[in-house]
Amino acid sequence: MTTGFDLTRLEALLESAQLLQSSLELKPILKHLLRTVMGRLPALRGMIAVCRREGGSRVELVRGAAALTEGSVFHEDSARQAGMVLFFPIGSPSEPVGVLGVGGLPSAVKPEEAEFIEALLGLAASVISNAQAHEQAHIANRLLDQRLQELRALLDLGRGLAAAFDPEEVARLVGYTLAGRWAISRYTVAAWKENHPSVLRQKGMTPGDWPALQEKYGACVEARLTPEGGLVLPIRSRESPIGLLVCGPRMPGVDYGEADLEFGAGLAAQAAVAFEKAWHLQDMLARQQLEKELELAAGIQRDLFPSSLPSLAGWDVAARNRQARQVGGDYYDVLPFAGTGPEDPHLLCVADISGKGIAAALLMSTLQATLRSLLRRESSLVELASITNELLYATTPANKYSTAFLCAVQPRTGECRYVNCAHNAALLLRAGGEVELLDGPGFALGLFPMRTHQEREFAMQPGDILALYSDGVIEAQNPSDEQFEIERMKSCLRENAGGTAAEIVDRLFEAIDAFAAGAPQYDDITLMIVKRND
Amino acid sequence: MVRNLVLHISQIDGIAVIALEGFLDAHTAPQFEEAIQSEIDAGRRNIVVDCARLLYISSAGLGVFMGFIGELRETGGDIKICGVAAPRVLQLFEVSGFKDLFGLAADLPAAVALFREKDK
Repeated sequence: MTTGFDLTRLEALLESAQLLQSSLELKPILKHLLRTVMGRLPALRGMIAVCRREGGSRVELVRGAAALTEGSVFHEDSARQAGMVLFFPIGSPSEPVGVLGVGGLPSAVKPEEAEFIEALLGLAASVISNAQAHEQAHIANRLLDQRLQELRALLDLGRGLAAAFDPEEVARLVGYTLAGRWAISRYTVAAWKENHPSVLRQKGMTPGDWPALQEKYGACVEARLTPEGGLVLPIRSRESPIGLLVCGPRMPGVDYGEADLEFGAGLAAQAAVAFEKAWHLQDMLARQQLEKELELAAGIQRDLFPSSLPSLAGWDVAARNRQARQVGGDYYDVLPFAGTGPEDPHLLCVADISGKGIAAALLMSTLQATLRSLLRRESSLVELASITNELLYATTPANKYSTAFLCAVQPRTGECRYVNCAHNAALLLRAGGEVELLDGPGFALGLFPMRTHQEREFAMQPGDILALYSDGVIEAQNPSDEQFEIERMKSCLRENAGGTAAEIVDRLFEAIDAFAAGAPQYDDITLMIVKRND
Repeated sequence: MVRNLVLHISQIDGIAVIALEGFLDAHTAPQFEEAIQSEIDAGRRNIVVDCARLLYISSAGLGVFMGFIGELRETGGDIKICGVAAPRVLQLFEVSGFKDLFGLAADLPAAVALFREKDK
């Protein structure tokens, strides 16, 4: 019998050695050790605690002792209270890797049995150390793997986002990355910006529009978990919220962890940059589009201004327009009535159209076309103004109208007639130096469907100078917000009365610029100088 | 040499019967442990382990019994061992004190009868 007993001990050692060598996992090794020891003694209760790298020991395995919990910190006292009576160090007693406790023994442990257990545990010590190291390495590797995968996902996303120029495309990529990384089928990617349609991409979530989402998550400034096990991440740009990522719960048993929150924050940061970039690009494209349109309108408008003015026998005419913006609202022209010779009557016109830009350019072209077509058959300025008024009133919105000074000159005699359609009074500088202001009753063209204009007459003598202009001349401002005023215009005209019409225009523009002293030009400036020489 | 353990699990009147066939050693012990655990998880606390076709048992195999017996007895259950036939197995049961601890029934009906008596 004794021989058999010794044989089983040897067998147990051999078996253990084989098993221990083949296993790198801690739990099966511990289970085997405890089984073997409990089976041999035999013991009703058993436990194994293993020293942790961070100090102390943790109970890893318990059998037959409900009072001890696996995973708890090992205290010999509590183990004794739980029924353990005998403790064997695992490995050298001075530096054990753990401890094996047993209880519920039928009799005292025989010395040779204790010797066997010591041998077994000695065998196990290095294997446990290896398994622990393996476990640590395994955990570290898994964490590293996970981090690598996250990094790869963010890199992938970054690469994708670099090529995404549309906010919707950005949302799509971000959504795919979220769903793929966390294996979720329910998510929302939302982003908003003033003057842009808000972006909302939802999968498997109750469709919610903006107000609903903002009410639910609006106060979200940092990542937080929802009661349903989901995750809400704010997308922030320069500290202000510009969007939200709402993620549904993950697979059963998988929660969002610390590393996930970090990944989510990285993703949200990338999304923020990408959304801003896409919006900025859209703004830029819109601006480019607008500029292109304005350029087009400016081109149309340039063509409306006469490239050269007709020459009138014995008269000198010059005009200039300088726009405050790309597309202005002023217009001037010199147009013949029925005959086109230098001695035939001509119409002088300076107009100021309400508003600026494309709409003004269109109104200007309507005004010009109307005047041109009417001039051939209509010599009454009141009729001309009235018909133009009716036409503009009928064809343009109420806030589109034009003031105008229309003046018919007879080059041979110097006889002039004019109607003033709510425009600045033209300035007539007599050769003797007196100044007359040519005003008259009448509303702007296109404003009211009424005939309100009156034709007035005057005569130009040799040496007289007539100045037609827009309010941009007398309202030009200097840095102190003072205006150029009609008095400065008068003095400038008097000082330069001896020059040609073109010279007078030049001097007046110089005077305005000197006065403005670099202050920005707010309004179009238009000036026409007409001088009768003989 | 591959030394397998085959488990045959059945029930008689709410008593779990686990019949072991082959070798119960360090390699196969986890299999046996899981089988007992799932019976306990299913609420069966009276367990008969039929060793009629068990050819070998090691200390680790014995340890599986020890891991459950205390807990089971504390909650009114028990493990009965029956049908031990292989001389080596019987010898180990005897020298290890298992014979006294568990009581060895001759065969399955005898083991079941022990439970019936106990729960009367």
